[in-house]
Amino acid sequence: MKEEIWIEKYRPYRLEDVVGQSDTIERLRSYIKTNNLPHLLFSGPPGVGKTATAVSIARELFGDDWRENFTELNASDERGIDVVRTKIKNFAKTSPIGGADFKIIFLDEADALTPDAQSALRRTMERYTNNCRFILSCNYSSKIIEPIQSRCAVYRFRPLSDDAIGKRCRHIAEKEGLDIADDGIEAIKYVAEGDMRKAINAVQAASMFDTSIHADSIYRITATAHPEEIKALLESALGGNFVSSRKKLDDLMVLRGLSGEDVVGQVYRSLFDIDMPARKLVSIVDVLGEIDFRITEGADERIQLDALLAHLSIEGEK
Amino acid sequence: MTIAQDWAEKYRPTKLADVVGNNKPLQALRDWKEEWEHGVPEKKAVILSGPAGVGKTSAAHALGNEMGWEIIEMNASDQRTAGIIEKVAGSASRMSTLTGIQKRLIILDEADNMHGSADRGGTRAITNVIKKSNQPIILIANDLYALSSTLRSHCVNIKFNSIPQRSILPALKKICKMEGIMCGTGVLEKIAENTGGDLRSAIKDLQATATDKKEIEVVDVTTAERDTKESIFKVLTKVFKGREPIEAYRATFSLDETPEDLIQWVDENLPNQYLNKDEKLSEDITAAYHNLSRADTYLGRVRLRQNYGLWRYAGFLLSGGTAVAKKHSHSGFRKLQPPSMWRRMGQLRSKRNMRDNIAAKVGLHCNEPIRDCRIDLLRMYGLLLKNEDYAVDAAYSLELDVDEIAYLTESKRVTKKIQKIYDASREMMHEKEDEDIDVFMHAPEKDRGQSTLDSMFSEGKDPAEENQMDGKEKDNPKPAKSQKTLFDF
Ligand SMILES: Nc1ncnc2c1ncn2[C@@H]1O[C@H](COP(=O)(O)OP(=O)(O)O)[C@@H](O)[C@H]1O
Ligand SMILES: Nc1ncnc2c1ncn2[C@@H]1O[C@H](COP(=O)(O)OP(=O)(O)O)[C@@H](O)[C@H]1O
Ligand SMILES: [Mg+2]
Ligand SMILES: [Mg+2]
Repeated sequence: MKEEIWIEKYRPYRLEDVVGQSDTIERLRSYIKTNNLPHLLFSGPPGVGKTATAVSIARELFGDDWRENFTELNASDERGIDVVRTKIKNFAKTSPIGGADFKIIFLDEADALTPDAQSALRRTMERYTNNCRFILSCNYSSKIIEPIQSRCAVYRFRPLSDDAIGKRCRHIAEKEGLDIADDGIEAIKYVAEGDMRKAINAVQAASMFDTSIHADSIYRITATAHPEEIKALLESALGGNFVSSRKKLDDLMVLRGLSGEDVVGQVYRSLFDIDMPARKLVSIVDVLGEIDFRITEGADERIQLDALLAHLSIEGEK
Repeated sequence: MTIAQDWAEKYRPTKLADVVGNNKPLQALRDWKEEWEHGVPEKKAVILSGPAGVGKTSAAHALGNEMGWEIIEMNASDQRTAGIIEKVAGSASRMSTLTGIQKRLIILDEADNMHGSADRGGTRAITNVIKKSNQPIILIANDLYALSSTLRSHCVNIKFNSIPQRSILPALKKICKMEGIMCGTGVLEKIAENTGGDLRSAIKDLQATATDKKEIEVVDVTTAERDTKESIFKVLTKVFKGREPIEAYRATFSLDETPEDLIQWVDENLPNQYLNKDEKLSEDITAAYHNLSRADTYLGRVRLRQNYGLWRYAGFLLSGGTAVAKKHSHSGFRKLQPPSMWRRMGQLRSKRNMRDNIAAKVGLHCNEPIRDCRIDLLRMYGLLLKNEDYAVDAAYSLELDVDEIAYLTESKRVTKKIQKIYDASREMMHEKEDEDIDVFMHAPEKDRGQSTLDSMFSEGKDPAEENQMDGKEKDNPKPAKSQKTLFDF
């Protein structure tokens, strides 16, 4: 089935399939072993396995019938105070089905719950704890009100290491009969920025054109410039060559189809790899941020980026 | 396999004597209880207020158990409109004294979390219930001042504090003993430290650490991934002592803090860290504040536009920007401290959420997209609220609570004036409700299984009466929209 989405197809089923969060996974495994799950709060950036881990826990605890005792509410669901008081509370109250000892409610992106709704959750978490355990996920735990944090064991999910990303992508490539070159893996790591979802999507997109995947195909399919190209752009500007740097920018945007936002994002990352005095770096980051802001406010991206290059060309000569 | 129980629930105190810490407040609670043994006291209700996990809910239930009082609890997980409160708490609190000697204790937990529209008129109803009650009532809240002054004036106010480490330690030790867990040196101290006076999360962390183990050591304490003061201080040291902007920036990645929170820590410590030896202002401070204010500008833009992509510039400027700002080295140890506002951070955070809540209310009221409400309309409502002629009307039509009024009028705390506006607007709301008795007709979502009261009160209902209600509901438009006010433009 070619049209299947791979992030779904390769969603981990068991904790052992979740890569790169080993300390956390090890602790979680001991909960499963003792059949004792506290309420959990997972915090971390997108695409690092929070949802996958929650689902894996349910599957390991409940086996094939896991869906009976697992319910999920994500950001697209209605999540005002009424839902907490009716739907969630009712699920928490009713006994688990089959042989299970308790049920699990997974509140994905719980930071999107209004504070009112979070407040309404507190006593439900306590009162029906024998019936029902909660798993909450969020980007930053500070967005979850203190009384809820107080009721959970908090686990932090980190951006995935390049190794973990490489390993998982190679695993998928093997299953799909793909051949990913080493530079292809490097490119995947670069575009993923620690987010497995981005990595897998890039692999799947590239696979639609060729079963053999190289850096070029990854960069092309994700509208990303090669980091070396961005570096060359910056070095030429910082070397005072405004005209040639502007030509390079043209190539990236016109020929390669990068948006102004894409360019700004990549310039931001590349700045840290360029050798320059610390103070200069700080002031350039600020100028870049200003330009980023203006572009998102609707300013013309070409004009703004030209202005950036002009600024860098003067800065470089100082 | 049997399910291991949640320790926080398993060891929930059932007697007042088992509630640790907070001796004075507990004594005040006992004193109030004594009064009930000699009839109906002047203050029929108490408010237990204080931070999370310090024993408020436990103390209330323990008191009821000890006295053999029947307990009726309502909390934020229940819908609490005026009608429901009156039906459940009101009826229970006016028990005929002839039916028996045994009393009923009414516990209204999370009383500060009454929802503006879903719990319409609830706060007001509580006051009425208290006035008419002949049974003991306990209100529980995190934030005492979120309750109206009228309500407060009818209650004995008892404040709970966070629990000091010296009281948390023995509590944890006792649990370890009961569970047969051996503790290495420093483990319990570490757990206690991490949780900042919140005994519930200390117990949670202890259980998480001890799962599947008979002996625990400091290294096992991995579950408490809440940022500790130490982990933040480590990062701040890189910011203030180091000179490498990238290194300082990367260090912040290890924390679970948004740049919104981090900038508070940097701001709090910057002056002290960069002052000259003679305590004079150094040019480093000026340079650092330049970058910090730039960082703050980005934070403001994110707040206005919800464009989180800009957070990275704030994150870099507040860390790296501070690190490179020094020309001189500021060697020698200078104490770091959490932001003085830090303790109020809970409030600050809710302030941010509050803005969204208010914007949503305004949006709903004026039929405007929420984003547009942020700037112009919020400002205008601020002006209206400052004007005596319009204030009450404005508060009424948006169903603002006290904090929201304070926020819109840019007041740092809830002043008497604000409280008055609030109370008057609730009064108005209440009058409205009397007009459309409707509230009582909207039968609450039934809470099967849990509350015996619901069934108790619904059983006696006359079916004819119910039909009549349904009919009425159809003719009557929604009460919230029925009255035209100044603000229905
Ligand atoms: N640590 C991981 N190990 C294996 N696959 C992962 C991991 N993190 C993410 N994925 C893949 O990315 C997809 C999205 O991950 P998800 O768990 O939903 O991330 P999050 O909830 O943290 O945003 C999953 O379906 C899975 O295919
Ligand atoms: N002062 C205390 N003494 C004993 N146990 C406490 C105390 N405070 C909190 N706990 C523990 O934490 C759990 C939650 O306490 P609770 O009374 O619900 O706190 P809150 O103040 O948030 O209402 C209790 O079940 C108990 O295990
Ligand atoms: Mg997710
Ligand atoms: Mg409580």
